[in-house]
Amino acid sequence: MSAARTSPRSVAVPAPAEGTGWVGKSIPTKESVRFTTGHGSYLDDVKLEGTAHIALVHSPYAHARIRSIDVKEASAMPGVLAVYTGEDIRKLVDPFMQLAPPPADKVLDYPLAVEKVRFVGEPVAVVVARDRYLAADAAEMVQVDYDVLPPVMDAESAASPSAPILHEAIGTNRVWDGVYEYGDVDGAFAQADLVIQEKFHYHRFNSAPLELNAALASFDRRTGELTLYTNNVMPMFCMPLVASSLRLPSDRIRVIVPDVGGSFGNKINSFPYMVLVSVLSMQLGRPVKWTELRSEFLAAGTHGNERTFQIEAAVRKDGTLLGLRGEAFDDTGAYARYEPAGAVIWAQVAFSMYRHKNLRLHFHSVFTNKCPVGPNRGYSRAQHLFLYERIMDRIADRLGLDRGEVRERNFVRADEMPYQAPNGTVLDGGDYARALHRVQEMLDLPSLRAQQKALRARGRYLGVGIAAALDSAGNNFAQVRVINPHLPFSGNSESARVWMDMMGRVHVAMGPTNQGQGHETMASQIVAHELGLNPEDVHALPGFDSHSHPYTGHSGAYASRTAVMGGGALLGAARELRRRIQVIAAHLLKTAPEDILLEKGEARSRRTGNALPLSVIGGVALGNSLELPLDMDTNLSVTYVYRPPFRIPSHVDKKGNFTLTYSYQVHGAVVEVDPETGKVHLRRYVAVDDCGNMINPAIVEGQVIGAAVHGIEAALLCEAKYGADGQLLASSFTDYLCATSLDVPPVEVEHFITPSTAGPMGVRGVGEGGGTALPALAAAVEDALSPFGVTFQDSHLTPERIQSAMRGRAPTVPSPP
Amino acid sequence: MYPRPFEYRAVTTVDEALRVLHEVEDGKVLAGGQSLLPLMKLRLASPGVLVDISGIPDLSYIRPQGENAVEIGSLTTHDTVAHSALLQERCPILPAAARGIADQQIRNRGTIGGSSCHADPASDLPPTLLALDAEFSIVGPKGSRTVPAKEFFVDLFETQVQRDEILHHIQVPTLGPQWGWSYTKFNRREGDYPIVGVAILVRLDSHGRRLEEVRIGLAAVNPTPCRARAAERFLQGQEISPAILKEAAHRSTEGLHPGSDMHGSSQYRRDMVQVFVRRGLEEAVTRARLAGGNP
Amino acid sequence: MKRKVSLRVNGEEREGWAEDRMLLVHFLRDELNLTGTHIGCDTGHCGACTVLLDGKSVKSCMVLAVQAQGRKVETIEGLEREGKLHPLQEAFREHHGLQCGYCTPGMILSSLYLLRHNPSPSEEEIRRAISGNLCRCTGYVNIVKAVRAASERMATRVEAPSTEETG
Repeated sequence: MSAARTSPRSVAVPAPAEGTGWVGKSIPTKESVRFTTGHGSYLDDVKLEGTAHIALVHSPYAHARIRSIDVKEASAMPGVLAVYTGEDIRKLVDPFMQLAPPPADKVLDYPLAVEKVRFVGEPVAVVVARDRYLAADAAEMVQVDYDVLPPVMDAESAASPSAPILHEAIGTNRVWDGVYEYGDVDGAFAQADLVIQEKFHYHRFNSAPLELNAALASFDRRTGELTLYTNNVMPMFCMPLVASSLRLPSDRIRVIVPDVGGSFGNKINSFPYMVLVSVLSMQLGRPVKWTELRSEFLAAGTHGNERTFQIEAAVRKDGTLLGLRGEAFDDTGAYARYEPAGAVIWAQVAFSMYRHKNLRLHFHSVFTNKCPVGPNRGYSRAQHLFLYERIMDRIADRLGLDRGEVRERNFVRADEMPYQAPNGTVLDGGDYARALHRVQEMLDLPSLRAQQKALRARGRYLGVGIAAALDSAGNNFAQVRVINPHLPFSGNSESARVWMDMMGRVHVAMGPTNQGQGHETMASQIVAHELGLNPEDVHALPGFDSHSHPYTGHSGAYASRTAVMGGGALLGAARELRRRIQVIAAHLLKTAPEDILLEKGEARSRRTGNALPLSVIGGVALGNSLELPLDMDTNLSVTYVYRPPFRIPSHVDKKGNFTLTYSYQVHGAVVEVDPETGKVHLRRYVAVDDCGNMINPAIVEGQVIGAAVHGIEAALLCEAKYGADGQLLASSFTDYLCATSLDVPPVEVEHFITPSTAGPMGVRGVGEGGGTALPALAAAVEDALSPFGVTFQDSHLTPERIQSAMRGRAPTVPSPP
Repeated sequence: MYPRPFEYRAVTTVDEALRVLHEVEDGKVLAGGQSLLPLMKLRLASPGVLVDISGIPDLSYIRPQGENAVEIGSLTTHDTVAHSALLQERCPILPAAARGIADQQIRNRGTIGGSSCHADPASDLPPTLLALDAEFSIVGPKGSRTVPAKEFFVDLFETQVQRDEILHHIQVPTLGPQWGWSYTKFNRREGDYPIVGVAILVRLDSHGRRLEEVRIGLAAVNPTPCRARAAERFLQGQEISPAILKEAAHRSTEGLHPGSDMHGSSQYRRDMVQVFVRRGLEEAVTRARLAGGNP
Repeated sequence: MKRKVSLRVNGEEREGWAEDRMLLVHFLRDELNLTGTHIGCDTGHCGACTVLLDGKSVKSCMVLAVQAQGRKVETIEGLEREGKLHPLQEAFREHHGLQCGYCTPGMILSSLYLLRHNPSPSEEEIRRAISGNLCRCTGYVNIVKAVRAASERMATRVEAPSTEETG
C-alpha cells in the first residue's frame, strides 16, 4: 500500500511531532532573533567604503523612439561621477540571452533602453553620484528627446498583424506560439451535452515584497574579481546571464545574497540591474549600489503574467467535464526576461485537479508596451488554475448543480493516486474531495445558506465561494524545451553541505537563498534530526555566498522547491556525515558502525553504552588523526546534490513529468457585497492545505496564510493597471493597494498530511497556493449577487466593476433554497 | 525618494515664523509634514525655504471658547483631535473624521492646520470643517483675520492663507443636543484617501420630525472640498421621510465635477455621493433623535 | 551644506551630519548606521521605517533629520536590554509573527507605541494600531497573536522603564 493511499490526517493546529525528532516541530525560527532585534542584514544594510549610488532616468512613454539624450548638464552637477545612456552601456555589455526560439531570440535586451523605449518606467540612462540625493538631482537634468509611437496595450491586439511592433528586429510581437493538445478533444466535444463558451481575464499584479530590489557591485581592478551583492533569489541561475553579458569568466564573480526581505518570485528578474551596477563598478573602479524605489519596482520590476482565455468547455449533463479547448493570450510585457517560460510552466497543472482527459490550448505569448512579466507566487499556474475553478462554477451554474458537487464529480479520486494526467504529470497523493468537504464543514455551509437567505430578505447579500488548487513544487527545467528544444536546461537539483569541525560543531550551508521561509531553521531541524543534535547546536550559514555555499545551476528560492529539493540535499548530506561519524566512532569505541547511535551530541554504542562526545570525534578526525587508520576517511565535510529522477519531455507531444510533487489546497471565502457600492467585505476565510509531511508546521502555516492573503488582495485590491495611453496608473503604494491588517480577516488553516510519494521525507512544496483566493472570491461575489444574475470574467473585482455590473439590475430571482 | 535641496528654518514663535516668511522668496510652512514631505520626496513640490513651525509651542491646544465653541490650535495633531474629550463632547464629528485619517503614525504627526492649508480635496477634515461652518484665524504681516470655512478653500491645494501668513487656529461650534452628525468615508482600504467623503450635520425640531437645518460637506468630488447646497436647501424645513432623503441624495450631486482615477470614475463618484449622502443623512438623523430623546 | 544634528537615540547621545533635506530614516541608517529601520516605499505607506520620536510612533521617511535635533528617538536596536529580548521581540519570535523580517522592526515599534498607551488591546485595536505597517509575508494573523501575547506578558511583568519615557 502506498503512503498516498493512507487516509489523510486532519490537524487543526500545527502540533509538534511526537518523539525526540526535530523534523515536524514548530520551533521558533533561528532567523527571528536577528530579525526582531534589527540585526538582519539586508542588501541596503551592506556598506562598502567609497560606494557610489545610482539614479535611473525613466521613460515617461509606453512606446517611443529615442532621438537624443543630453547628459551635459547632469554630468556637471555636484557629486556626479558619471552619466551613461543605453548607447554607452550597449558598448560595454552583451545583450541578454533570450529563451525564446526564433525569431524572438533576436530581441536585443540591455540593462538600459537602446534606440527605443517600450514601457513606462523603462530606464534610459543612469547617473552615478556620491550619494543618492545627488544622483536623483542629476537624473532630473538628463534631457531625453523622444518620438512618441502608438503603444499596444493588450495581448490580443498585440498579436494581430496590424499592431505596432515593439521589436522591429523580429518583425512580430509574438514571443512564442504553440498548441498543446492532449487526448481526443474533438471527440469530447462531439459527446458533449453542453458546450460552455467563456472569456476570462487574469489581471496584472505582483506580490510586492517589502524590501525592494537592490544590488551592490564591487570590482577589484587588482584581482579582476567582481563581488556582486544582490537580493536576487535565483542568483546562480542568473549567473550565466550576468557573466556572459559582462564578458567576465564566472570564476571572477562572487555572488553574495544577504537576508532577503521577501521575493515571491519578483526578485528573479533583477539581473539587468545586477549587470548595470557591475559594469559601472568595473568602469569607475569603486563600489556602485542600486536600491530600487517603490515607484521603480511597480513600473519596471516584475509583474505577474496577465492572461486572457477564450475557452470552450465540453460538459455532460451530470456536470462531468469532458474537454476544454481554446486560446490563451499571455501578455508578457515589453521584454521576455524570464519568458516565454510561462508559456509552458502552466502545463505543470494542465488538468488542474480534475480527471478529464482532453485539452487543446493554443498558447500565445505576446509583447506589449507594459512592464516585463516574470515569476510571481504561483507563476503561470495560478492563471490556469483560475480558469479551471471558474469553469467548474460555470458548469454548475449552467446545469443548476451545486458548485461543490461538480468539483467532486470531476476531482481525481484518492484511490487513483498517484495519478498520471494525460500530459504526463503525476499527482502524488491526497484526497481532494475530502479537503473540499472539510472546508464546507469549517464554513458550516448549511447554516451559511440559511443566513444568506435571511439576509437577502433584508437586502443584504452574503456569498460563499470555494475553490481548489494545486501547488506544484520542484519543476523539471526540461519543460522549457517544449518551447525551445535547444535550451540547455533540464531537471532540477539542489546542493547542501554539512560538515563537522574539530570541536565537534556541525555546520550547514545550502544553495537556496533565504527570503523569509526560515531556511536556516528548516536546515537545522533536518540536520539535527539526522545527527541527534538540538537545532540550536547546528550552525546554519545565513544567506548565500558563492564562495562558501554549495550550489547547482538550479539553486534558488522559487517554485515552492526548498523543502523538497533543499530537503533532499540536506538529508543526503546529513546522512552521509552520520555514516562517516559512525565509522570513526566505531573504531574508537571498538564496535561496528551499525552499533553507533548519534544522540544528544554523542556517538554511543548501543551494545556497550560507551559514548564519545562529537567533539572527540571531530578532534580525532581532524586534529589527531593518527589515532585512526590511514585508510579511514577523515573527511567530515559532505556536499550532496539531490537530483530527482526527471526525464526530458518531448517537445513534439509536449508530454512529460514537468514537476516533482503537488501540494493542494481548498479555500473558502465568505463575503458580503454592498449592492449599492460594489464593495466586498470579506467576513471569513478558511483554507485546508495538504503539503505532505511538514518539517516545521508553523512555517508551513505562515506560508499558507501569507499566500492566501496575496490572493485575497489580488482579487480585491491590487492591480497593476495601465491607462489606454500606456501610463501605469498604480504607480505608487497610494494606488497599488496592498492589504493592511484591516483588510483581511484572520485566515483559518487546517492541514491534511498525506505524505508525498515523490518528494524526500514525504514532503511537498508549499507557499504558492494563494492563487486559490482569486477564483474563491470571484465565486463568492457571484454567489452573493446571484439574485441579480451577474457574473464576472475578471480575476480583479473593484467596487466600481461590481457596482457597474449591477447597474439597472434588481434582485429578481428568488433566493435559492 | 529624495527631496530637492532646500533651506530649513525652524522657528519657535509665531512672530518669528511671520518674519522669516516675509524675508524669504519661496518659503513654505512645514507643520506636521505628512502631506508636504511626501510631495517633496516625489519632487512634486520644491520650496526654496521650509519654515518649520512645528516647534511653536502655543499653536497646539484644544480649548473651550465660551459655551458655544471650541478653538483648536493649528498644530494640534489628528491624534489629539481624535482623542479630545472636549471635542467628543461638543463637536464629535471632528474626532470621528480625524480617527479615519491614514494611520497611527501619520495621525501622530499630521496636524489639523496643515491638513486644512494643504486643502487636498480628497481629505477628511476639510469637508467636515466646511459642514461645521468652522472659522479659520489667519495671522500675517498685517495682523490677524478670520475667514469662514466657505471662503477658506479657494482652489485645488489653495486656501485663503497667503504665502507670508500662517493659520493660527480653527474655531468650531458646540453642537447642541438637537444636532445629529455623521462622517462617512468611502474607500477601498481603511485609512486611504476617500473615493468620496461625506460629512453631515442635521438639526431637528424638538419632535425629531423635521429638518431645521442640514449641512453636507463633500470630499473628493470637486477641485475643492465643497457643500451640497442644493440638497441642503431642499431639505431645510422638510419632514423626514425615506423619499425626502433619497431625493436630497439625488440633488447632492448638482454642480459636482468629480475627477476619475483607477479607484473610481467620475460617474461612480457621483453614484457614491448619492449613496453616502442618503446613508449619512439617515445616520445623522438617528443620532439627532437619540440625542434629542426622540429615538 | 550640512549641519550637525545631535539627538538622543535609544538613550545614548548621538550626533551626525545632515543636509537640510535628509530624511530621518537616511540619517539613522547611513549616518548613525542603525540599519534596523527599513525603507519599503516612497510615499509613507509601508511603515517599515517606523520609529518613536519623543515617544510617538512616526514614519521616519516623513520626518527630516534636522527636525530630530535635540529630540529622543527609539529604534528597534534599543529594545533589547542587557542581552534580554523585549517581550514584544520574544512574542514575535515565539508566535512566528514574522517571515522575512523586513517589516518586523517597524511593526514592533508600532506595537510598542500601542502597548504603552493601551496595555491590553483587543484584536480590533491591535489591527488598527498596526494598519500603517505593511507586512507582505504573514497575512498579519501571527503578528496579532504576538502582540496580544506580549501584552499579556507585559501585564504580569513590569516593563523595564524606558529611558526615553522617564528621561
